[in-house]
Amino acid sequence: MKSTLTAVLAAMLIVALPIAASDQTRWLNVHVTEAEEGANVEIHLPLQLVLAVINSVDVDNFHAGKVDLEISDADIDWPQLLAAVKDSPDGEFVKVDADDARVRVSKSAGTLYVHVEENDDNAIVDVSLPMAVIDGLDIDENNQIDIAALLSTFDHLPNGDLVTVNSDEATVRVWVE
Amino acid sequence: MHRQSGVSTVGAVLLAGLAATLATLLMMDWMFVDVQTPEPESIHIMVPFPLLAGRVAAGIVPDDVFRDAEMPPEVLQQREVVLTALRELADTPDATLVRVDADDAIVNISKTGDDLLVSVDADDARVRCKIPVDGILDALEGWDWQTADPDLIFDILGSASMGELVTVEAEDGTRVAIKMW
Repeated sequence: MKSTLTAVLAAMLIVALPIAASDQTRWLNVHVTEAEEGANVEIHLPLQLVLAVINSVDVDNFHAGKVDLEISDADIDWPQLLAAVKDSPDGEFVKVDADDARVRVSKSAGTLYVHVEENDDNAIVDVSLPMAVIDGLDIDENNQIDIAALLSTFDHLPNGDLVTVNSDEATVRVWVE
Repeated sequence: MHRQSGVSTVGAVLLAGLAATLATLLMMDWMFVDVQTPEPESIHIMVPFPLLAGRVAAGIVPDDVFRDAEMPPEVLQQREVVLTALRELADTPDATLVRVDADDAIVNISKTGDDLLVSVDADDARVRCKIPVDGILDALEGWDWQTADPDLIFDILGSASMGELVTVEAEDGTRVAIKMW
């Protein structure tokens, strides 16, 4: 009886594994709810589609998946900065308390958190960047950010929110699943 | 002389010709434009249109006409983005891709099988559109993206599955449908 049950379970596993493996599509989701207009926008696209399109875009400052940040006057050593963020221990890096806004940048359990509270718009912005995303963040010496490389890292992220914005005007949620 | 009863040779040829014509007509791709106006003076018009006739008609038009109808250069620049998006879309599993709920309209874009379904429910009209992704991809891959090509339309229509391709229902009750058969 026991061996029959084991055989049945093994057979179920053999059948179920390929089914689970075949449904590997990762989805990029964006939800925007605009309070004033009462509009609600839900975008649910396969990450692969987004990546392929981004790699093909060829417009003004967006070529082959790279966007020019247009900050040529800023002399920033991006690789060093990103390495510093990655290698630093958990803790709060940035704390700004001003009249119009509060900003917190911290790192905890392999994730970089950016929290901004803006008083004027009554807006709260939360960004969660797992270190895998920081690893994929590639900004070259010409201040061009490789968006395609960045999005490629989403493929290996666990399901969860990346960006949430809550303000009087709108709420925005970006997540992968 | 005794004449043998049964189907004569001429009759058999006519019957065979009729059957062949009927079979050919049935095998052809047909597009129907179905227009229905509201009561009280309701009119229902159904116009059948064989795609083959459209291709033949387009073939008669001198090439110069289409050569002169050049597309803006921006269209060619978007070729790779559009084709890449369509290729990926063809492989996308069935799902609702975009949904917009606004005060005056609800827009829904979803992938079902080989088709991209677009629905718009606005205050003044209801639109349903079924876009054959593979058909559009095949047609656009064969297009030069520089000159207007009527065959492009016929290729896309020919690749559409049977049924309603586009329906528009206006607020006043007018209904226009383009059906493939």
